[in-house]
Amino acid sequence: MLKINNLNATIDNKSILKGFSLNINPGEVHAIMGPNGSGKSTLSNILSGKKGYETSGEILFEGKDLFELETEERAHKGIFLAFQYPLEIPGVNTNIFLKTSLNAIRKARGEKELDAIEFLKLVKEKSKDLKFDEDKLNRQLNVGFSGGEKKKNEILQMSLLAPKLSILDETDSGLDIDALKIVADGVNTLRDKKNSFLIITHYQRLLDYIKPDFVHVLMNGKIVKSGGPDLAIELENKGYENFN
Amino acid sequence: MKEQLQKDFNNIIKDFSLSQKDIEIKKFFLDNFINRGFPNKKEEDWKFSDLNQIIRKNIGELSFYSDYKSTNKVDTSIFVDGLEHNKIVFINGRIEKIDFDYEKKDQIEIIDQSETINEFNNNSLSDLNNAFTNKSFKILVKEGYQLAKPLIVYHTTNTKIWSKNINLRLDFELNKNSSLRIVDLFNDTSEKNFLNIFYNFELKENAILKNYKIDKFENKNIKYSFNNIDQEKNSISETFILSSGSNFVKNEINCNLKGKYSSAFVNGILSLNNDKHHEIRSIINHLTENTKSYQLIKSVLENSSKAAYQGKIFVNSKAQKTDGYQLSKAILLNKDSEFNAKPELEIYADDVKCSHGSASGSLNEDSIFYLMSRGLSYQQSRELLINGFLLDVVEKITDSEIKNLIKNLIGIKE
Ligand SMILES: Nc1ncnc2c1ncn2[C@@H]1O[C@H](COP(=O)(O)OP(=O)(O)OP(=O)(O)O)[C@@H](O)[C@H]1O
Ligand SMILES: [Mg+2]
Repeated sequence: MLKINNLNATIDNKSILKGFSLNINPGEVHAIMGPNGSGKSTLSNILSGKKGYETSGEILFEGKDLFELETEERAHKGIFLAFQYPLEIPGVNTNIFLKTSLNAIRKARGEKELDAIEFLKLVKEKSKDLKFDEDKLNRQLNVGFSGGEKKKNEILQMSLLAPKLSILDETDSGLDIDALKIVADGVNTLRDKKNSFLIITHYQRLLDYIKPDFVHVLMNGKIVKSGGPDLAIELENKGYENFN
Repeated sequence: MKEQLQKDFNNIIKDFSLSQKDIEIKKFFLDNFINRGFPNKKEEDWKFSDLNQIIRKNIGELSFYSDYKSTNKVDTSIFVDGLEHNKIVFINGRIEKIDFDYEKKDQIEIIDQSETINEFNNNSLSDLNNAFTNKSFKILVKEGYQLAKPLIVYHTTNTKIWSKNINLRLDFELNKNSSLRIVDLFNDTSEKNFLNIFYNFELKENAILKNYKIDKFENKNIKYSFNNIDQEKNSISETFILSSGSNFVKNEINCNLKGKYSSAFVNGILSLNNDKHHEIRSIINHLTENTKSYQLIKSVLENSSKAAYQGKIFVNSKAQKTDGYQLSKAILLNKDSEFNAKPELEIYADDVKCSHGSASGSLNEDSIFYLMSRGLSYQQSRELLINGFLLDVVEKITDSEIKNLIKNLIGIKE
């Protein structure tokens, strides 16, 4: 599904990713762990098409060169990024944003766009599953949301859009235990033979709820070690020092 | 300029049916205008908008014809649908219709005051206006009467216009406990005319005025609009300006808070494209204690458009406990667009609360990325962000019917 070959990324003359490679097959869950500033968010941003990076190397998504696609085209093709720091957008009603987003993606997939009633029914259902306070949906997007609410809103968007590849950038940071389980449920519901996940986290705890197929350690701009779920436990106990 | 103006003036003054004395007065103002010419950027109030140059570039010489002699057909298709309203219709500067069908007839007086002169502004445009205004009326709302429906003033121009310049004047007197909502709706199909509009409002105790000025439809005209608002005790004035359609517009609001607990609100949107150039100039005079003013102006500027906001809060020595606030924010969508703000505070009392602020910048790229990562196109993302930026000014409109009208006009979805 996703093939990253020898990706290099530089911003403001600072080299961040240096020969990063990763392969994700349909249905797989990969976790990436790595110290602060190691380039995890940079990787997520590049996958979603954020501008401003100088890059070389290759990224293929379902065989297509990702660099040829604009951010919104990547979303249309099924790439979703749950932001580490979801943005506050003043003056934009959350429901209107969600509906515009869902319909843009449905349209690109050749599906019928939802009318207001169909949309509200769906969003109600999904919010209930995520125990997301529906009243928030009538507020301005993320404005005045608590840290945890913003993260939950990302997962709500993920479950509405049902992407093929979901990248979760530290979605677990700042979530309480109950919210963590709910978010994990959201991921597990979407998990099937076709959908894949790239989960960025600092804590092994999330991986108790979402069992990854692979765990990778990102340091010095590339993956320095890969393994199974045990690697996360090892990291939790020993830290990153051993990998230097 | 001089000969042409004098010749035209002599030609059309015959149709004005004025006494010899009134003609002399008009002549006096004509001479004043001829001596002073159009305001130019050497005058502090016009430093961001050199009207003299703008007129020269777009219109050239002013010329006047007897557009007032024959009536124009009122095209009812321009009337706002789905909102019951009273009407005043101007077509090419001629007043074609005054109708207060929705109101109690004995509560409103329409007074012909064509002979009175306007003295509220001493710039040369006021001279021009005094010299050439034909019919002018005062709408008087009697004590305690609150109009059931808003008044929409249609400012229409079409290609049948001969004069290069239109001068209009309307006065309003809102007596004690009365209220009036006015929407000025501009609808131009003429090209390159200069509209010079003067309004004067007298608000007596507890009176409420809401004036919404909507210049939204694309046109090539040049406009100056001046509102003088005198306010007595407890009165409230709310002015909202949607400035967008014309090539050039300068809106000037001069508000005198003369009575205790009177308050003035001036909010506006300058939404411009191409090489349009619009300005809002406000002067709020706090002349007694416990008065309040609030101003919020937001601009969205595309291409090489230019906007300016000059907001002055004046507080005299008697005006203790004044509360004055003004804020302006602009989004520049293009490196060629330009926004100028000149806030002025002139305060002679010590116990006051006044603040001002101004900020301008481009659209937030990270926000665009966030929205696009959810499948929205660049265009959709931009539109959502811009409408979001403008929403809080629109929300300041206290009349819900007119708020919806304006939301529809600028494409903000509920
Ligand atoms: N716009 C930028 N300009 C300059 N440096 C940047 C920019 N964005 C990121 N960086 C730098 O790139 C490095 C990688 O940042 P990144 O956000 O990818 O780290 P991360 O692995 O996600 O860290 P964390 O665990 O703290 O979220 C950091 O040193 C950061 O300071
Ligand atoms: Mg990060």
